[in-house]
Amino acid sequence: MAAIDPTAAAKPARAPRRAIRQSRAAWVLTGPALGLMVLLLLAPVSIAAFLSFTNYSLGNSGFDWVGFDNYEKLFTRSTYEKMFLATLTYVVTVVPISVGLGLGAALLINSLGRFRELYKTIYFLPVMATLLAMAIAWEFMLHPSIGMINRTLELGCGTFLERVWPFMAHGCAERFPVWLGDQRYAIWVICFIGIWQGFGFNMVLYLAGLTSVHRELYHAAEMDGARSGWARFWLVTWPALGPTTVFVVTITCIRAFQVFDTIEAFWPQGGGPNKSTYVMMFAIFEKGVQQNLIGIGSAITMLFLLFVMVLTLIQRWLVERKVHY
Amino acid sequence: MAGLSIENVTKRFGETEVLKGVSLDIADGEFVSLVGPSGCGKSTLLRIIAGLEDQSSGDIRIGGQSVAGQRAADRNLSMVFQSYALYPHLSVGENIAVPLRMRRLNSLQRLPLVGRLLPGTRAQSRDIGQQVAQAAEMLEIAHLLDRKPGQLSGGQRQRVALGRALVREPAAFLLDEPLSNLDAKLRVQTRAEIAELHRRLAATFVYVTHDQVEAMTMSDRIAVMMGGRILQCAPPDVVYDDPDRIEVAEFIGSPKINILPVEIAEDGRLILMDRPLDLMLHRGGKGIASLGLRPEALRLAGPEAPIHGQVVHRENLGSELFVQIALTGLDQRLTLRVGPEQRSALALGSAVSLDFDRDKALLFDSEGARIRRVVQTASAPSEVA
Repeated sequence: MAAIDPTAAAKPARAPRRAIRQSRAAWVLTGPALGLMVLLLLAPVSIAAFLSFTNYSLGNSGFDWVGFDNYEKLFTRSTYEKMFLATLTYVVTVVPISVGLGLGAALLINSLGRFRELYKTIYFLPVMATLLAMAIAWEFMLHPSIGMINRTLELGCGTFLERVWPFMAHGCAERFPVWLGDQRYAIWVICFIGIWQGFGFNMVLYLAGLTSVHRELYHAAEMDGARSGWARFWLVTWPALGPTTVFVVTITCIRAFQVFDTIEAFWPQGGGPNKSTYVMMFAIFEKGVQQNLIGIGSAITMLFLLFVMVLTLIQRWLVERKVHY
Repeated sequence: MAGLSIENVTKRFGETEVLKGVSLDIADGEFVSLVGPSGCGKSTLLRIIAGLEDQSSGDIRIGGQSVAGQRAADRNLSMVFQSYALYPHLSVGENIAVPLRMRRLNSLQRLPLVGRLLPGTRAQSRDIGQQVAQAAEMLEIAHLLDRKPGQLSGGQRQRVALGRALVREPAAFLLDEPLSNLDAKLRVQTRAEIAELHRRLAATFVYVTHDQVEAMTMSDRIAVMMGGRILQCAPPDVVYDDPDRIEVAEFIGSPKINILPVEIAEDGRLILMDRPLDLMLHRGGKGIASLGLRPEALRLAGPEAPIHGQVVHRENLGSELFVQIALTGLDQRLTLRVGPEQRSALALGSAVSLDFDRDKALLFDSEGARIRRVVQTASAPSEVA
């Protein structure tokens, strides 16, 4: 800056003092933001990282340095194996389906002339509702004997459904699943609720993305011989939605890693039947808060942070390299 | 290549009638411009020809075949859009290849990776590549084939859009204000290039513009549209020299034509600002009319000339001079075009007398229609008297 400043060149003696004053002003102005960032973001993460190498418990006066013991436990004990399995199942199921449904709903709503706002509101309702309260409603519906879902399934007994659908035949002969108490079904129920709750949000993001698609491009595609809606989708819509898709996938991934309230509402004591829904967030809560094992809780937190960070970096890379033209 | 014919096409958007029965025949290989002020329906007409919009009534024929009910993709027309409408995620080469890929490859063959393994894809792709290279060569954009549209300048994008239109052989080219996003200098250059392209391809061009200069310089025929109708369709010089209506005369030509009110006396003689002129209608009939005088039809003359005024503004363009003259006895200005040699005679504020070429005077009736039955009498009556 100083090199191209004409006044600085003319009066070399005063230049250093000016530079000092300028740099002091710069520090004063960036100070509050820097301070807050260190205090609110960097310090807690560093402390968590530090604690993950100890056996600290809240209330204890001291702690021991345990090195990588906590991390070793994470990768050897079967509880944590179940944690990774449950988290991965949830993320791998919920992300593609809720992104796909969000895109589908957005495309359908976008093609509507009337009732757009109505459909938008309906699909967005679950996003606005408190998941904890919704979980209670779901719990009633999923009740094995008096729940709406099994009662509805029972209506199908004695019809042709019994012959074509083995699940139905089995349910009618014996009984329909105990949805929340059966380890075969618990995680899928959680996934279903996650999708139901989350895809409306993706839909809104995609609707916003769709407004930025240039209308003339569709006309150009038509003139170029793109006869089917499918061809136009691949030629115009999908590439134009690239930035939106990267954002939606990242956000959905992070939200999927964070799933907690439904599990806490359904099984406050321990992550579902045979720990089949023992996801990371719940593990952090159980270890760090309920059992006061800050060390292991911090270790899971660090792992969680790592996942989120990798996702974010992938997003940044994709956005900069691939989807902005 | 084929001719186009538009038969009594109307278009209604709700209550508003945008096109009120437009008919136009365009011969094979002809360059026709649709020109008119914004909102006159010219773009709507082009989009109806393209099939992007449906007409309310009337018919479009391409090469003699009616295309009623045929969708745009099946009409075998190419279009260049005002915004160019290039696919931003595809490179220049891929953009130009799209019309060929869409028509020659089926949806499976177009799949990335898998498509290449299917029989026939490889040969087709090679063929498409060659045609793209040819089109790029013709437009001198061969060195840009790997770039994305976002990395190109406006003029280059415009060429890519042209390339995408001409890579296959369509029945006709439709161009929707393709130069309006370019700067003035580039516009002049591209204008000449498009005209040359038309000569080289000998294809049918329909060109929509609001800029009468573009229409005048490039077209075989100009269709002047206003208020949803074609007022006149004729070669540029005819539209300029011999307009059918006052609106056409006013729209074509820059600076604008001068319109003066004239009276028609009982015997058919024209009276301008209370002075009888040596012009006469074939048949009499009292009334009012408008006299249209192009800036170059006016010339400086002696004090006996019919028009008098004062110089109020000068625009010196170097090779010529446009002078605005406030008329005495009429709250109106005239624009006069003179050569540079007369510059000194036209200082600001100086009084001038003007005469006009009788054979270049255009007379319109009170409805705006042209009156062509005007004859020059032997001499002005004032001199006879």
